[in-house]
Amino acid sequence: MAQGPSCASELHYYRALDHANAGFATGTYHLKDDLHLATPPPHPSEAPVVNPNPLATVPTPPTSGVKLSLVSVGQRNKLPVFTSKEKVTAPPFADGNPALAAIPTKDGLKRRKPKNNIIKSSSSFVSRVITHEASSKRLNDRNPDGLFAFANINRAFQWLDLSSKNKEEPLAKILFTKAHMLTHDINELTKSSSHIDIAMGSSAGDIIWYEPISQKYARINKNGVVSNSPVTHIKWIPGSENMFMAAHANGQLVVYDKEKEDALFTPEISNHSAEAMKASSRLPLQVLKSVNSRNQKTNPVALWKLANQKISQFAFSPDQRHLAVVLEDGSLRVMDYLKEEVLDIFRSYYGGLICVCWSPDGKYIVTGGQDDLVTIWSFPERKIVARCQGHNSWVSTVAFDPWRCDERTYRFGSVGDDCRLLLWDFSVGMLHRPRAHQASARQRTSMIASNTQHFNRHRADSASNRMRSDSQRTADTYNDYDSAVRHPVEPRARTALLPPIMSKIVGDDPICWLGFQEDSIMTSSLEGHIRTWDRPREGINDSYNGNTSSPAISTSAAGSGSGIADSAMGSL
Amino acid sequence: MGSFLRSLRRDGPPTPSVGATPAKKEPPVPPVTPLEKMLQDMGAIREDGSDKFFGMENYGNTCYCNSILQCLYYSVPFREAVVNYPTRTPIESLEAALANTLRYQNFAANLEAEALAEKQKAANAQRPGAPPNQPQKPEDKDSPEYKKKMALQTLPLLETKNNATSYGMSESLFTSLKDLFESVVASQSRIGIIRPQHFLDVLRREHEMFRTAMHQDAHEFLNLLLNEVVANVEAEASKQPEPERSLPPAESADSTELSGSSGSKTPNTTRWVHELFEGTLTSETQCLTCEKVSQRDEVFLDLSVDLEQHSSVTSCLRKFSAEEMLCERNKFHCDNCGGLQEAEKRMKIKRLPRILALHLKRFKYTEDLQRLQKLFHRVVYPYHLRLFNTTDDAEDPDRLYELYAVVVHIGGGPYHGHYVAIIKTQDRGWLLFDDEMVEPVDKNYVRNFFGDRPGLACAYVLFYQETTLEAVMKEQEQENMDLNTSVADINDSTLKQNGYPLSPGLAHVHSASQIPSPSEPARFSNLQRAPTAPPLFPHPEHADSESSPADPSTTASATPPVPPIPDIHSLPLSPKKSDSHFKKERAKEEKERKANEKEKEKQRRRDQEARIREQRREDAEIRAALEASKASKAEEDRRHSPDDTKKSSHGLSRLKRGSKSFSHRLGKDKENRVSSSSHSATPIAEHPPSRNGASESQQQLPNGQSPGSHGLHTRHTGLDEERDTLKDPKHDRSGHHGKWRSFSLKKKSFSILS
Repeated sequence: MAQGPSCASELHYYRALDHANAGFATGTYHLKDDLHLATPPPHPSEAPVVNPNPLATVPTPPTSGVKLSLVSVGQRNKLPVFTSKEKVTAPPFADGNPALAAIPTKDGLKRRKPKNNIIKSSSSFVSRVITHEASSKRLNDRNPDGLFAFANINRAFQWLDLSSKNKEEPLAKILFTKAHMLTHDINELTKSSSHIDIAMGSSAGDIIWYEPISQKYARINKNGVVSNSPVTHIKWIPGSENMFMAAHANGQLVVYDKEKEDALFTPEISNHSAEAMKASSRLPLQVLKSVNSRNQKTNPVALWKLANQKISQFAFSPDQRHLAVVLEDGSLRVMDYLKEEVLDIFRSYYGGLICVCWSPDGKYIVTGGQDDLVTIWSFPERKIVARCQGHNSWVSTVAFDPWRCDERTYRFGSVGDDCRLLLWDFSVGMLHRPRAHQASARQRTSMIASNTQHFNRHRADSASNRMRSDSQRTADTYNDYDSAVRHPVEPRARTALLPPIMSKIVGDDPICWLGFQEDSIMTSSLEGHIRTWDRPREGINDSYNGNTSSPAISTSAAGSGSGIADSAMGSL
Repeated sequence: MGSFLRSLRRDGPPTPSVGATPAKKEPPVPPVTPLEKMLQDMGAIREDGSDKFFGMENYGNTCYCNSILQCLYYSVPFREAVVNYPTRTPIESLEAALANTLRYQNFAANLEAEALAEKQKAANAQRPGAPPNQPQKPEDKDSPEYKKKMALQTLPLLETKNNATSYGMSESLFTSLKDLFESVVASQSRIGIIRPQHFLDVLRREHEMFRTAMHQDAHEFLNLLLNEVVANVEAEASKQPEPERSLPPAESADSTELSGSSGSKTPNTTRWVHELFEGTLTSETQCLTCEKVSQRDEVFLDLSVDLEQHSSVTSCLRKFSAEEMLCERNKFHCDNCGGLQEAEKRMKIKRLPRILALHLKRFKYTEDLQRLQKLFHRVVYPYHLRLFNTTDDAEDPDRLYELYAVVVHIGGGPYHGHYVAIIKTQDRGWLLFDDEMVEPVDKNYVRNFFGDRPGLACAYVLFYQETTLEAVMKEQEQENMDLNTSVADINDSTLKQNGYPLSPGLAHVHSASQIPSPSEPARFSNLQRAPTAPPLFPHPEHADSESSPADPSTTASATPPVPPIPDIHSLPLSPKKSDSHFKKERAKEEKERKANEKEKEKQRRRDQEARIREQRREDAEIRAALEASKASKAEEDRRHSPDDTKKSSHGLSRLKRGSKSFSHRLGKDKENRVSSSSHSATPIAEHPPSRNGASESQQQLPNGQSPGSHGLHTRHTGLDEERDTLKDPKHDRSGHHGKWRSFSLKKKSFSILS
């Protein structure tokens, strides 16, 4: 597929509906918007970014491309049609620890804001804050259902109103001195038109709790007092008003409480000898401070060490009980984070894993990594389902499209360093395994066994895997806690291969974030391009009619990607 | 021995307390380099050379050679093979030699420079962490130039001498490579600078294109070196049964041991380069008319992959194997339907090499500019790799590779610039080898050369070696552990216990002064492997130096007389290649000549144009230099082109072409588009059995080679023949346009320009 570097303004996809309907539904996403954030110049105190010596061995601080946190503070329910049928039954995190019982808020419903005003801050961490001169007017006039977007770029952090006419002008822009914000998240539970809780993690390890409407902030893990390595990913714990989880580049997962003060962290483990530390470092999870610890006056609430490797990303399951963590060492670790234990360890085909997400019903986990693959794992069956081949470089973000998922078929998307956006459809019945002598088979006819069979087999599988992991371990006293099942890497010949339904170059620079909205797909890139692609106006059940009604189609029908798209082209 | 004692000073703080160290010349101690700092906790020196970190002197644009040599040295199986083939020089004789060739610096002479350095250090210390933009022109202490200068002034210098006679071989590129490796392995200093002068002499003597002081292509050099090693080794093997062979039976015992313990398919001791670097590509061509699939195997020593902007090595490899349509001017001659037909072709890997050398084709010939351009595409490479493009029947198609070395090209174009190597060492992490300078670097540093960073530095050749998931996981556990925790200690103690690596001879000479802990030296004369290293290669350990009789040339080997150059080399060459080649050439000549000449004419015209275009380049200096070399090379080409088809007796030119065609065969010239018939028209039987194979079996049988392995042996002979027949197709090519064309063009213009 030779494709020019120029990005098209439409995305076409072809979708296999199901077996009954042999045809392919098609659709076109139109580029609605391309917002380009300016990269701020380096802070005067910073060393010049460009070192004249390309071989300079001084380590460069981590940075990341633009990532977005989107929030709508309106009342309208924008949830997709298809979500998990089962109610969230998991108890909230830290339920059993009275030391962490929620303190009844004295101010009633009023949210607590952080202490310090960021605009007047004299902190050496914050360089300056630029607010829009009419920001309060803009806030009052706007449609409450409109989207706010928070975006990091280099050392800047911007607050954008995507529903505004002049959305390129941020409502506020924070410039930090040296640290780059690498990740941020909005607390969905506490958001309102007068309050938004944002947690953001920086390359210095410091975490900022920021409330944009009042422009207040607080600094957590100040100067890395709890964990002094960069924050690679941050998420509010589902159902919690105050607690969020941060992944650090040193392999630690830390739960912080925005209301608590920092304290110098010392591991709370019984056997503290170096030898014991070393032995326990083989475990998939070292609880250096348990959520059940009585000592909860200060941060951290909990601190787990997963590995000596960078944690790339993690994701909470929709049932709020499990956590999928991906690491630079190529492992996907599925945790029961309420019980603080690792259940399963899967490995990438090769190379580090970069991103992870759950299907809306919690049945599947999807990862992307340095093997250029998107991999689907079945959570209940605890096994690999398929490898999705189509990216030409590393995969930076994967996300399900909950508006295009139902009980049988799932739609997800992925973006990567190849500047591409890929869309994938899969339904379990349609996956095929490559047959030994027909690797190029594009027919999607053969089927794999039904779910129940898999489930039975999985038991046997995991039992044998367990034995394998037992034999791997060195004889020491730490066996008792290591209940994690280590799954071997499945050979290529025994794993289903899934082609994308669409593959499209959407920019000139690596794409680092992807989000699905009800009416659009959004991507953001390394150099600050935020693109919005309108969904096809027709529903997913319309097929060809929708196409022909759109004048854009005929001009760029050839723009679609590889794999199944080719055969679809033939059928058109 | 005083010189050896003085080496202790270089070993850093843990050792200088050793009583024997004279306390002289301590004041002008140069600042501890990052490398020395890192090596402070090292235990005793190991015998396998894995803990030696030598820079290499640059004799003016020889960085292409230095970076490749370093990459090869740190391939454990390759180093061991070079050191052990045909036999390992007893350490005593090496030491005797080294006593003369390892030269420690006269610190007093460098006093002044160091004093200056100290002063500057003081000046710099006033502004710690200050950006290097201060206008302090004279000498930037962080600059590589300064570091190299300091290294040259302070580190021990290691010269190599031709030791070929002690290997029982005549001098060749292989023996001088072995000289280099053995010297470093046997050196009593852990760090230093090796001077590959002798190696370069041999290289330049035999290969005209390297004689200029011009910038050379590192990949091309790698390919040439590997081919040359193959040729040298095979040539020696074929002439070994000669009566005047001076080597005692110990050598043959060693070679049987080699074949026995290597445990791989071939008992042929000369095939170790093949076993490491060689893989097999299968090109499957399906005629779209009759749908018949024809297959053809080719061997490769490295893979050259085309690059795309914003892609990964994985993707480049997949593209490499992507289906290609042979149509229009590029049709496929189908045996089945007889005639040129449209066809679909794909290249897949049938046998995976144990070391995968990946050449990223950053220098691309652009039609509109008529010259090579460097591509600054961002191409990411993971630390681990598996190959997607294997055939269905490939053995171990999911083989896991780990990245162990990266050759980086720095510069804006193909005709100038600098090469460095970043290499993962056995247990000291990643190191940057920049000619004389060796510096430890962070693992993340390896990722600075995807091609998108300012500074023009891009990965150019990637070395992946096979590994296992278990080894990877074990290594990952060790990574990023605080070095001051128990891990380092444990490592150290294990090193001291079972890693006491000194062979008897070595131990009694130096142990008293060298080793801080006077523990009883363990008798491990076999090679050590670091515990973290994957079990890469069931490689033959070298014959016990106790059991093997003393080398006949222990002392003589130190400074053997340089043999008269041209004769010696042309003699030992195996006649196999030339003969079969010659015959084949003759047989094919008529058929090929037309196509061949047409192609050549075309190339020449293109080159001519390229040259004309080149003249317009702004860069006057480079242009001038280029012109000179181009002119000479073009002339040489013109001179040689008639030879190409007719003459094959002159040693030098034949050798050269052989390597070239080899390199063509090895993964570059992919397809025999029009000649499937001509190919099948040269059945294997037409070729006489390779003399190489025959002579080898002669050599092996007296040494107790079993008939069974002899059978295997002949199988390989057959394979050789097959490869010989495969050599031809390139001559059949006549101006098709395909994805491989740019490469052959590249090759062409490269040899013209360099």
